[in-house]
Formats: sequence, structure tokens, C-alpha cells
Amino acid sequence: MSFKSSLAITVGKSSRWFLHKFLHGGTSLPGKIALKLDPDVLKALAKDYEIIVITGTNGKTLTTALTVKVLEKAFGHVLTNPSGSNMKQGIVTAFLSDHVSKKSKRKLAVLETDEANVPIICQYVSPKYFVLTNLFRDQMDRYGEIYTTYDKILAGIALHPKATVIANGDAPIFNSKNLPNRVVYYGFDNQAEQDQLAPANTDGLLCPKCHHILHFKARTYSNLGKYFCPNCGFMRPELTHYVSHIDQQTPQSSTFEIDDQQITLHIGGTYNIYNALAAYTVGQELGIAKDTIAKALSDNDEKVFGRQEVIQLDDKEVTLILVKNPVGLDQVLEMIKTDTEPFSLAVLLNANYADGIDTSWIWDGQFESLPFDQIPYVLTGGERFKDITFRLRVAGVNEEKFYQEEKLSDVVNSIKQMPTRHVYVLATYTAVLQLRKLLNEQGYLKGGMD
Amino acid sequence: MKYQLKLAHLYGDLLNTYGDIGNILVLQYYAKQMDTDIDVKVVSLEQDFKKDAFDLAFFGGGQDFEQAIVSKDIQRMKNELTAFIEDDGPILAICGGYQLLGHYYIGAHGEKIEGIHALDHYTKSQDHNRFIGDITIKNEEFNETYHGFENHNGMTFLGKGERPLGTVISGHGNNGQDQTEGAIYKNVWCSYFHGPILARNGLLAKRILLAALKRKYPQADFSKQEALIIKPTY
Repeated sequence: MSFKSSLAITVGKSSRWFLHKFLHGGTSLPGKIALKLDPDVLKALAKDYEIIVITGTNGKTLTTALTVKVLEKAFGHVLTNPSGSNMKQGIVTAFLSDHVSKKSKRKLAVLETDEANVPIICQYVSPKYFVLTNLFRDQMDRYGEIYTTYDKILAGIALHPKATVIANGDAPIFNSKNLPNRVVYYGFDNQAEQDQLAPANTDGLLCPKCHHILHFKARTYSNLGKYFCPNCGFMRPELTHYVSHIDQQTPQSSTFEIDDQQITLHIGGTYNIYNALAAYTVGQELGIAKDTIAKALSDNDEKVFGRQEVIQLDDKEVTLILVKNPVGLDQVLEMIKTDTEPFSLAVLLNANYADGIDTSWIWDGQFESLPFDQIPYVLTGGERFKDITFRLRVAGVNEEKFYQEEKLSDVVNSIKQMPTRHVYVLATYTAVLQLRKLLNEQGYLKGGMD
Repeated sequence: MKYQLKLAHLYGDLLNTYGDIGNILVLQYYAKQMDTDIDVKVVSLEQDFKKDAFDLAFFGGGQDFEQAIVSKDIQRMKNELTAFIEDDGPILAICGGYQLLGHYYIGAHGEKIEGIHALDHYTKSQDHNRFIGDITIKNEEFNETYHGFENHNGMTFLGKGERPLGTVISGHGNNGQDQTEGAIYKNVWCSYFHGPILARNGLLAKRILLAALKRKYPQADFSKQEALIIKPTY
């Protein structure tokens, strides 16, 4: 290791210690300091690790957490970057703060990586595996088109032709380019087959080979499924691991089978089954036994499932769910519809930079699919409550059960008035933060903001 | 419903970014209040646009890849679309759809992508820049103010016979230079506005619906429809 790298690591580590101890924070600043002293510091830090890079539009955070869980069950401690710190500084900080314990059988690092950061990170570390979850339209004012995003990811993968790519086989885009790498596909194989088209408002429906519209023999959601091109024969690749059956789904959990191994995942949503499947596939690639993986994934771990949290607000059980793009939103709508109890609904829309400053995406979400006649109380709020109010109006909300609140404190009071025990609050990123802050001040969050 | 309109959603399965489908949902929402049903059909690859089969069309924007495919395919519908436009057929065209009704636009890698030349504008590209952000324009003719969100690399320059949808009050508009935004030609309304445009500008939705209704039912009395009050949504 060069003197420059050693110095950068030492300074970075001590700044992390200082920040952590005295300021209760520091997820990216130590990395920033170390990078300033030595731009190549990541190379030195990551040298001895087997690295798994996880990227894609939706599901990065949970896939990373589940993968860590599976690997820890088999090998002990695994390095990872904290949720959301998926840019370069955050990753450097994660390495700086790693304490390899003697019990660890392998030195593993699972890195949640922002799509655009994959080629940058790949200049410094040598991933053994790339896990690709999906690519959907996401806050286009920031990210641009899915094909451009995929090219960025591929530029990173191209630097490591020996790495194995673990990709969602149901996503046509991940089969659009031939890679020198070994590719392992996972997907869903749980439905009876029937020739069908995706709804018109779905992105990525062109056959990447001949530019005709793709058909599906089975479709999970959006453009994910057993696709095929009737014109040129392009089709979904063979799946190595697949969901063979879905036994039961509720807003809080899903029970399903992968390779005939039953798993109960303690978070609802079909999209989260994909995340579990990706983690399962990584586990199998690293030689972990099926039942060990199933056990790890079935564990009800609050730390892992924190993103979708249930808050007790007096007598209301409020499920707070982050929404940020149309495909994710549609999946959340599908999930809450599986609730067997009556529920009320609130949708909070902000349009700050972290939310995406363009609120057009709410029109791509299928709010029309909600059973409005059965929802006794619908509330809209947030800084852009006017936009979401008109969206729900057009979707057919019942005006007599429809309320709007501009101020967050009024939103909270309004939730307390809701006539059902179950309440779902869908909110964009900064609206989630603001609401949590307010609920924390009011003493409703257990254990404060952490 | 007393009245029926058939709407062609041009390339709805390929050009569907930025919530533009909301424009169709909003048209249906106000149409209902005007005693009108809108039947939507996607017209895409392997399908045909016949000018007498539709009363109204919507043409949205998409990603570069899909737009380049559409540019090639749409040439086979060029004559019917042009005839529909010349015959006062109402069309709302946004972003890529707007560009493709004109002569051409320049793609992300400098390539010239052919439009159908039905409208007299053309679109150049900016180097490494996009016009992104909230935008407000004023249409003096109707004395209406429109709000939207723009997000485009293209710089469009209007031709003869076209007037802008409005004059830029804040934001960039067609090209960031001449203070124009969008285009109007006969019953064709073009714009770079997302948001979607009709969600925030119900008056424009009403105007488009009335144009389609009056064209299809020239004898009918639409005074009730004209009196419909559009509440602000933004």
C-alpha cells in the first residue's frame, strides 16, 4: 500500500471515529476526506474483499440488506454500505469503518451502488458479482433514459469480464446486449402461460433485436415476465433460479417458493419477492445451502424491513410507504389492495430535488385501480397536494370521502380521525422525512429517528 | 353519454414518458362533464391511422431509442395524418410528438431524425444541456396563462403559419431564444409541457374537446359544454 493510501485511510478512519462518537453521524464525510487525500484510496481499501455490487432502479436497498442477511448466516460478518449511501464517498466510508472479525470465514463486501456510480466504482474495485435488479423510468429529471442508464452499468461491467452477472431474467433489457461475462438469470415461473401484451403505458416494450413490440407468455408487472418477440424469436433466457409458486400475499408478508423451497418474507409486495429472489441467487452462487438461505430470508428482522414501517398513531396502525416512481407506486397500490381489513389512504406529494422536481410521474401510476368505493377516507397532502388531489379526482375518488390538508400537522390530525384501524400513507422521500420528524417530536416513533 | 369521440393514442405503447398519458385521462374526465365519451385506441407499429376513423389524436414523447423507431414507422401514416390535420382534425402533441409533426429533429448523437413535415417547424439539439424546470406562458389570444414542467434538449423553431401556444413568462420555451413556447396550427396544439399539460391547464383541455365536438357534430348546440366551469388545479 502506498504512503498516500495509508495516510488517507488513517485520517479517514479517525474522522469517522470522531464524527460517529461526537456527532452521531458521518455516513459519507470520512470517505470524502479520505478521497481528498488519495483519490485512489478505494483501490487499497477494497483489495482483499470478494465484492458484490448491487444496482438497478428499484429494490437496491432491500436486495442489499437481504443479501447481507443470507451471507451473514453462512459466513459471519459481511461489509456493506448503509442504506442510501450508495455514492462513492459512502462506499469508501463503509470500507473505512469495517471491522473484520476473526469469526468471519470470508471477507465479503455487498455494495449497494447507484446506477450512474457503477462505472466509477468499477475503476477501483474488482467485483466478483454484479446483481442487476431492474431498470425503470425513475425521476427522469435526474437519471435520463433506461438505455443510457444500462450503458453506464455495462461500462462498469466491461472492466471486469471475469465477474458473474446475476440479472433479473424477466427484464428484457438485461438480455439486450451480449456480454463476455457469465450471466445467471432469475425470474418468475409461477403462472399459466397465455399470449398477452403489456398495457400501453409500459416502458421498454420494444424488442432490442428487431424493434417489434414484445409479447408475454406470463407477466409479473410492468415489462417483467416471460417475454418473447413474435417477429424474431428473441425471448426470455433460461432461468437458473425461479419463483415457482406464490402461496399467500398480504401487505405485511409474502409466502412463496423458490426452487421449491418455501420462504416467508416479512414484507409485502411482489416487487420484494424479486429482491428476495436476487438475494437467494447470490446465496446459491456462493455455495450456501437452500434451506439456510430460506431461513435467513424468512427471519422477521425489523432492521431489514424498516423502509416500510408501521407506526402506532393512537389507535391507528399507520403503514408508511416511500413512493418515488410509477412502477414502484403501482406495486405499492397492488400490495395495499391485498389487505383483508378495511383501510384509509393518505398520499403525500413533495417535489424537492430528492423527490424529483417533476410531479408528472403520478399520472403514470394506476390510481384508477384502487377500490375507491371501499375506501372510507382518502387524504392528500404535502407541498404539492394540489397535483395529487387532481390526480385522485381524475382517478375517481369519492368526493364525499375526500380530504386535503396542506400542512403536515393537519395531515397527522386528519389521520387520527380516519374511521379504520388500518391506514396507509404513501409519501415521497422528503415527505417521509418530514412526517417522521413530526411524529418523532410528538413521541410516536419508538427509539427516535434512528 | 350523448356524444362520442374516438381518440387515437399515437404510439402509446412506445412514447409514454413523463406521465403524458395523464392528458388522455384528463380529457376523459372533462369530457364526462360535457356529456361525452372518449374511446381510446392505441395506434402503433403494425397498425394504421385512417383520418376518418378518429375524431381526436394524442401524440406524446418518449425516449430517444423509441422515438427513432417511431420516426421511421410513422412515415407510412404521413399522408393520412397530414390530411387529418388539414381537415381541422384536433391533435395534442407533446415533446417528441411535437417534434415529429414538424420537419425533423436532431438526436442525441447528432443524427437527423425525420418528422412527417405536416407542420412547418424544425428542432435542433443543444450540446450537453437540457431545459429543465417549471415554466409559465401566456396566450394573449385566449387571455389564458398555462403552467407546466419542461424537460427537453431540443430547440424548436416555428415556421410559417404556426403561432406559439404562448409567450414565455418564466422558463425556456421552444428554444430559449425567441420567448415562444409550443405551437398552434389549425386544430393542432403542440407543447413541451409535461405536468401533464392538461392536468394543470383545464381550459386548454376544454378548448380541445370543444374543437373535436364541433367538428364532429356541426349541428349540435354546445352552449352547455361551453359554459362548463374549469376549476383551477394548480
